[in-house]
Amino acid sequence: MLSERDLQLSPLVPESIQHNSRSLYNLQSLTASLFGVAAGILGLESYSGFLFYLAFTLLTSVLFYAVRVAPSSASPSSGKAGSGGGLLDTSRYFRTTLEFWTGGVLSGLAGYILTWTLFFGIVRA
Amino acid sequence: MTQLPVQTIHRDPQLLYWILFPITLVMILTGVLRHYATILMATAPKKLDQKTLREQRSLLHGIAVRSNFHTLSKPSFVARREALTAAYESGAYLKAPENRGQAPPNPMSDPSSMEGMMGMMKGQMAMIIPNTLIMSWINAFFSGYVIMKLPFPLTIKFKSMLQAGVATRDMDPRWMSSISWYFLCYFGLQSVFNFLLGSDNCAAASQMAAQMGQMGPQQAQMFGPGTDPDKQFLAEAENLAVIEHYSVLDEVEQRLLEGIKV
Repeated sequence: MLSERDLQLSPLVPESIQHNSRSLYNLQSLTASLFGVAAGILGLESYSGFLFYLAFTLLTSVLFYAVRVAPSSASPSSGKAGSGGGLLDTSRYFRTTLEFWTGGVLSGLAGYILTWTLFFGIVRA
Repeated sequence: MTQLPVQTIHRDPQLLYWILFPITLVMILTGVLRHYATILMATAPKKLDQKTLREQRSLLHGIAVRSNFHTLSKPSFVARREALTAAYESGAYLKAPENRGQAPPNPMSDPSSMEGMMGMMKGQMAMIIPNTLIMSWINAFFSGYVIMKLPFPLTIKFKSMLQAGVATRDMDPRWMSSISWYFLCYFGLQSVFNFLLGSDNCAAASQMAAQMGQMGPQQAQMFGPGTDPDKQFLAEAENLAVIEHYSVLDEVEQRLLEGIKV
């Protein structure tokens, strides 16, 4: 974790972080709705539906990390900004690592349940 | 544990077209309407007179100096701190210096503060009225129908909520009535509004309530009616006085040399 002094030495711009979080949030709510559609059409019920959601949300996070975050934050040429960055480190673009990996699970859940129920009702029940 | 037989209920497929889709459509359109109504009703921030603006900005100046002191060099920071502290303590930036030490006026009697409250009231109204209307509309037209089955099981406690108006004792709580579809839409449509209106929309009622909870207290604390600017200034002067100054440029040579690898 960065100390206050480190943050002052290599500051993070709040607006950019906000923009990053917002685009991540948009992606997650979009994919959550689409996963709901998929789960409803597949006819998943109870635990398997929630596991489906959890697995695919984490997959989305991993893909987002691998495609957008990792190439620039893990490469050594990125310099000292964001303190180097080991594997699975997102501090270059996001405030906390935990938020990046788990934040989408809760924010997309309502949309997922909505479309899951809708398509389950239309297709199966 | 014995497996209960799965309940099946044969429903008219027309229920889908005449209940499910209308409710969803109305919810989406209400969200869009609420978004544009909020934009139209938003009043531009009132122009403040010069003295008030000076009072607020000088306080913000002090806060900015306090939180970004590490970017200033020591003499520059000390000069700023002395100037600001002297001005704060003498009350040079006050809107009405002759009112120093008096109790702040009652916020309810000040007409300018009523504006802010009116704005909040409008926001609340834009949220409450459509929801009440839609709920009573659904209750009036669609109560008593079982329209859908949830894809996940629920405990028996949910029965009274999900099956309001359906008085069937043995029915699985997974079956839901139209009012529970309304609640699902209420919470889940945020992502739909994100695609329709952009991500900083104010369509979803549930999100708006959360935003209001965040924004409200902070704003009111800063320049709200009922706060004494003189006390704020004195507190800020004290905050500035206790800062132990250091600069980001301290020891920069060493950091640079560490970064250079031969």
